[in-house]
Amino acid sequence: MENIGYMPRWIFDIAGFHIVLNKETLIMTWIVMAFWILFSLLATKSTKMVPNPLQSTAEILIATWDDLVKDSLGLTDRRYFAFICTIFLLFWVSNLIGIIPFLSEPTKDINTTLSLGVVGFIVAHYSGIKFKGIKTYLKEYCEPIFFMMPLNVIGELSKVVSISFRLFGNIMGGSIIILVVSYLVYSLVLPPFLYGFFGLFVGTIQAFVFTMLSLVYISVQIR
Amino acid sequence: MDISGADLVRAAAFIGAGIAMGLGAIGPGVGEGFVGGKACEAIGRNPEEAGLLTRTMLVAQAVAESTGIYSLVVALLLIFVV
Amino acid sequence: MDIALDTVSIVKAGQFLGAGISMGFGAIGAAVGEGFVGGYANCSIGRRVGMASPYTRTMLIGQAVAETSGIFALMVSVLLVFGDFSANGICAWTATMSAGICMGLGALGSGIGAGYPAQEALWGSARQPALGGQMTTSMLIGQAVCQTPAIFALVIAFMLMFKNCSGLDVWPYGASLIGAGIAMGFGAIGSGWGGGMAGGKACEGMARQPRLRSPLTTLMLVGQAVAQTPAIFALLVAIMLISIGPQKGTLLTSAAMLGAGISIGFGAIGSGMGNGVTAQGACEAISKESSTTKEMLTFMLVGQAVGQTPVIFALVVSLMLMFIKFQIPATIVGFCALLAAGISMGLAAIGSGYGNGDTAESACKAVASNPEGKSGILPLMLVGQAVGQTPAIFGLLVAFILMFGSYSGPATLPAAMAVLAAGISMGFGGIGPGVGNGITAAAACEAAGYRPEERGLLMRTMLVAQAVAQSTAIYALVIAFVLIFVV
Repeated sequence: MENIGYMPRWIFDIAGFHIVLNKETLIMTWIVMAFWILFSLLATKSTKMVPNPLQSTAEILIATWDDLVKDSLGLTDRRYFAFICTIFLLFWVSNLIGIIPFLSEPTKDINTTLSLGVVGFIVAHYSGIKFKGIKTYLKEYCEPIFFMMPLNVIGELSKVVSISFRLFGNIMGGSIIILVVSYLVYSLVLPPFLYGFFGLFVGTIQAFVFTMLSLVYISVQIR
Repeated sequence: MDISGADLVRAAAFIGAGIAMGLGAIGPGVGEGFVGGKACEAIGRNPEEAGLLTRTMLVAQAVAESTGIYSLVVALLLIFVV
Repeated sequence: MDIALDTVSIVKAGQFLGAGISMGFGAIGAAVGEGFVGGYANCSIGRRVGMASPYTRTMLIGQAVAETSGIFALMVSVLLVFGDFSANGICAWTATMSAGICMGLGALGSGIGAGYPAQEALWGSARQPALGGQMTTSMLIGQAVCQTPAIFALVIAFMLMFKNCSGLDVWPYGASLIGAGIAMGFGAIGSGWGGGMAGGKACEGMARQPRLRSPLTTLMLVGQAVAQTPAIFALLVAIMLISIGPQKGTLLTSAAMLGAGISIGFGAIGSGMGNGVTAQGACEAISKESSTTKEMLTFMLVGQAVGQTPVIFALVVSLMLMFIKFQIPATIVGFCALLAAGISMGLAAIGSGYGNGDTAESACKAVASNPEGKSGILPLMLVGQAVGQTPAIFGLLVAFILMFGSYSGPATLPAAMAVLAAGISMGFGGIGPGVGNGITAAAACEAAGYRPEERGLLMRTMLVAQAVAQSTAIYALVIAFVLIFVV
């Protein structure tokens, strides 16, 4: 109980830089990546007209996100689709992986969610500049009155903060609640239901919300 | 803890700033939300006029923001000027 | 002025304060609820004069159940007035006062909420006189579940009153006890009121469509049960504060326990009401469009689950305040910092919780008006709720910064008040934008029900509107940052 918030770390000192890496988060993220690489290799190994279960799961995921991306962005090329779908897959399994014993969610660490939030932000604003040209992009910050500019800038930054902290808060919060409740009821009866709610249900929804919001922020910049 | 007069004044100024901005954010938040809601409803009825409706909504929200900006100014005055 | 203080006097002072608070607040809810019941009873009798006698009977039954929470408050008050708690040690003054706060506020929400099922049952009987006894049963079922938070509050009040803390110092254990009372007291308001609203709409639906009785009862019970979750979180925190509250500690520990109680106590108000409002929308949706019964349950649960995020954040901050040893100096600045963390998170979660519930209610009703458009309404609802949670996230951010910041300046009164003001600023500043964003998203979902093909345009407009409405939350955040970092 006393080690809520404790995070095992690797600490190096290289060339005068003090580098701190969160061991558990990195290993779990690698496990998630390995899972998806394995899944995609197996699912696309021999594609048939009558698909096997792995292939149909893959088809459902791809088709859902393709529709959502086409709906929001209206483009027919696959550039954004690959990025968006990857974010969803990564976060979905990251949130679910906590159910397996001895594994924990990498999204419990603010670094994971914040870094992908920043990546989404960079993609959105880079696309905005590319599609609208830099003058129009900068002028948009001055709407509707010039004095709103600092507030618009802070508003954009707060979007990154809000999506990252939302996912982090939900997942870390779920794990803390499960830890404390298990301690109180001596791990009888209640924990599996809590894992089901926080892990499966909340994990899926929050992954969807994060991805949907990234998609929508890109679409707001492009249009 | 020795509290001098100047300390008390500064402390009260900070609490006042917090109350000013805190309570002052309630009204504009609800009001602008209502404006946005009605705008979405109107766009649902009449999507071709989306541009005009959005512009009107932004103007309305900016006006509703006024008291929020007054609160911000008072809060900043209390923190920095007094 | 010399005040001679001995244990018995101090404990009695706390008792009497608690007795007054308990009955004072406890009288509000029950009276309001019963008043509404009586009003609708008159409406019903006015519509069908021949049925005056069964309606009066139903009205009295409904009012009696709504009275329950008032009676709990009276019981706790009388015990506090006449009981002798000085054997429990000097800590008992905080325990008894806290028991009064807990029961008084806890009776508020349940009392008001219990009025809704009764009023709709009476008005529904006037519409469909053939239903008679069935409406009374439904009314009692609806009222029963929304009394749960008041019962939780009663349990905590008893635990507090009879807690033997002799031999302990008043602080920090006394702060834990006050925190427990605040947590359960405020935490019960939202769930009681929201659960009652859901029960009310379910009764109205049963009056409109008597053959839908069974699915409506299921939906109402599930919706009310989920709406009780924030009160259950508050109960959990209160029990933990009473049983494993620290008995030795510094000024910081007291602040942490108080902050934990404030965080979950206020945080549960918004989500409790929001979840109840969502369940209300789901019940209304099925009664208008009975073909959506099967999927409405899932839709409502998704909306409620996302709407509980603010109270989950509040619970997380509470648990962190209770269990983490903070690295901040044990001075008045540190005291105010932890207290401000609880205030910031607790208050900021109110608006977002209610706003999310409003959005989900509107989404449920939109699905009823357009059952095929469900797959288009769901993303809009989720995005609207997610963006509407931003004020609560700001509250969480400020709470984290306050808990984990470094306070290296001198521990003066202005510095302490600056930190406290930061918490107040972000806390209250999160209420309005949260509710406003919820209203915007609700209207967007409703429009998406009528015009599903305009979903993209609606999503963009909704986001722009929500972003502008969040400006005042951003101002409050900026003021909070200025107060913490610059001053």
